[in-house]
Amino acid sequence: MTNTNASSPGCSRRRFLGLAAAAAASVPVTSACGSGTGSGASGKLKFWDMPWGTAAYNDVSKRIITSYKPTTGLPSASYQGIAWANFGQTFASAIASGTNPAVSTGGGFQAFQFAEQGAIAYADNLIETMKKDGFYDDFLPGTLDGMKTDKGYVAIPWELDAHVWWYNKALLEEAGAKVPTNWDELLTAGKALKKIGVYGFATAAGPGNSLAYETPMTMMIGNGGGLFDADGKLDVLNARNVEAIEFIKQLVGEGIVDPASVGYTNDNAYAQWSKKRYGLGNEQGGLAENVGGEVAKDLLVMSPIAGPHGDKGALVVENNVMMYKNTPSQEGSEALLLHWLKNMHQFWDQALVNGLPVLKSIAESPAFQKRPNYVKMVKEYQPIGTSYATRGKTIGGAQSKMDGNSAMYQFGQAVLSSKTDAKAALTTLSNALASLLK
Amino acid sequence: MSPSPTTTEPSAPGTAPQRSPRKVSTPRRFTPRSPARVHNQQAKSRRRTLALLVLPSVVLLLLINAYPLVYAAFQSLHNGTLINTGDFVGLDNYKSVLSDPAFWEAVRFTAVFTVVAVLGSWLMGLALALVLRSDFPGRSVFKILLMLPWVVPVVVSATSWNQLLSTPQSLVPHISDMLGLGSPLFLADPTLAKITVILFEMWLNFPFMMLMISASLASVDHSVYEAARMDGASGRQQFFRITLPLIARSTYISWILMTIFIVNDFPTVYLLTGGGPESSTTTLVVLAYRAVFQNFQVGPGVAIAFLMTFTLVVISTVLYRQVRKAHV
Repeated sequence: MTNTNASSPGCSRRRFLGLAAAAAASVPVTSACGSGTGSGASGKLKFWDMPWGTAAYNDVSKRIITSYKPTTGLPSASYQGIAWANFGQTFASAIASGTNPAVSTGGGFQAFQFAEQGAIAYADNLIETMKKDGFYDDFLPGTLDGMKTDKGYVAIPWELDAHVWWYNKALLEEAGAKVPTNWDELLTAGKALKKIGVYGFATAAGPGNSLAYETPMTMMIGNGGGLFDADGKLDVLNARNVEAIEFIKQLVGEGIVDPASVGYTNDNAYAQWSKKRYGLGNEQGGLAENVGGEVAKDLLVMSPIAGPHGDKGALVVENNVMMYKNTPSQEGSEALLLHWLKNMHQFWDQALVNGLPVLKSIAESPAFQKRPNYVKMVKEYQPIGTSYATRGKTIGGAQSKMDGNSAMYQFGQAVLSSKTDAKAALTTLSNALASLLK
Repeated sequence: MSPSPTTTEPSAPGTAPQRSPRKVSTPRRFTPRSPARVHNQQAKSRRRTLALLVLPSVVLLLLINAYPLVYAAFQSLHNGTLINTGDFVGLDNYKSVLSDPAFWEAVRFTAVFTVVAVLGSWLMGLALALVLRSDFPGRSVFKILLMLPWVVPVVVSATSWNQLLSTPQSLVPHISDMLGLGSPLFLADPTLAKITVILFEMWLNFPFMMLMISASLASVDHSVYEAARMDGASGRQQFFRITLPLIARSTYISWILMTIFIVNDFPTVYLLTGGGPESSTTTLVVLAYRAVFQNFQVGPGVAIAFLMTFTLVVISTVLYRQVRKAHV
């Protein structure tokens, strides 16, 4: 008979404790003997990827990674999708614990942030390789420059998140308004739309919605302003910025901005476009797809509008792919990244992403040319696009600190509020950013 | 039985006690152990075994709780990031947090948010627990439906509330408009956003209060009420003189628990308003989150968390004293 009683002579208390002690002692031993999951010492090259589009995007991206055939001596690669929720923590914890990927996509300014902390492998060598095989020349003008810092290229861009002007053609026709080309016409169109119960300056500044600060940033950049001067120094209170924010305040005062939009999530804003309550506004490139339904066909991209001084500009954030210092093989990381870049055309071939391509070959492909809104974005917005650097080109890591910072959200909400004037809102932002960037 | 060779001779009366002679090594002899001694040895051995059995759990608990706590204290004294520890800055993080107006604004809102939400959810829970004490058709179904706010994940609830309130075309503003009350900006107006977040918190938590009070009421002997009625006590007197004192203990316990839940509640506020508009609904936990994960200022963020913990310990201690006083 099998004895299962722990107190029986078959399994005495002393023996039980001895086994428990042995088991406890074996935990660190086993850990020490384990192969480890970090990219650092050995093993596969880990590629971490964000959900950039539909679920099919990650499937295709995974296929690209698994199709990677390393040359002799280089490690193979594995793919892992990472959720947007708390992604900053995910990457930071992985880097701190040495379990980071070798290569990854991520937040637009993540590479700058981690480069400042010494975790990023600069891509200068890869840029040289791309120059040699001609792939470098396929990048749209200016796109690679956005990744350049004093120490080198922090990453390679792969997609552009452009903020562009959209209008609902049917609503503008119904209101008898023409498509605006400058701020005065924007105001006129807004007033006309208001008469038919439609808002002419769409925005959303609710929980976690980056449009809160991207909309006023767009207006400041479009007026030749921005947050930094030509030397890369913080310059929030410049006259162009004040003028731009005062113009938004005027739109708020005229009832052209939805007063509830200060609390809107992305979904709330899409619902307003869908219900034909929004007729005109600055939004991300994928607006028509995100709104969907019958309205989508009426949503068209218009040309960039000129500010009162004739300036034109657009907020364009470059999403990028970065390499980490902690890798089984730097040569392997570069080979894997190049393989992914050379195959990413599949995302646009199958219309899986809403961002703009950085490669001429993709922008000129028949599949891409079938999407007129996107063609217009590449043709008219990409050349004038800039990130928060605007008039300065060397702010590097400052962008990562500003993007998503609470001061930026609060600034965006203050701009839409009738209680704060333009200078006060900009002063508060300036003080907060000065404290953040010191 | 002859005395042991190592024992001392008793001193003669009137003489100073002699010092114990040095022990002399003698051959050991077998002496049978007394039952008491055997029992003591068994008890000691048992205690040792129990201590050994408990040790892994204690070590695990220390690793899980004490290590992060100590490391967090360490972080609050450094100017590090999520990746690097940074330099030692002493109490600078605490000083900067305590001199920041945004911190005190968050303290004020957290205090109001917590007090109103705890008392509000308790009053709702009490009212419904009293209703559920009486027998009526469909009581069980009603009880299950009342539990829904507590059972449904807060992400779902927040999305539903957002859909009900956010736009002028949403159901609640629409009804308000139809009644001629205008179209309130529940999530866009700072004052209304504060009220909305507090109501949402109360709605989420009243089922917990209802359960606690129902359990407490179930243990009250009905003969107490019968006796009170016979003595001519009115319904109001019965409620204030019998019901409330009898559920006082569970009330204080539920207040302690709910205070801890609400002060530490991040998703409710963050999902519904993100702490806005313009920081009007920013609680301390949201402020700490922003500092660490939006502004990458780990030291000040952890300092806020520590100040919160300290305050919670003080509040819990005060309320716990009330629990002890409320012994029935």
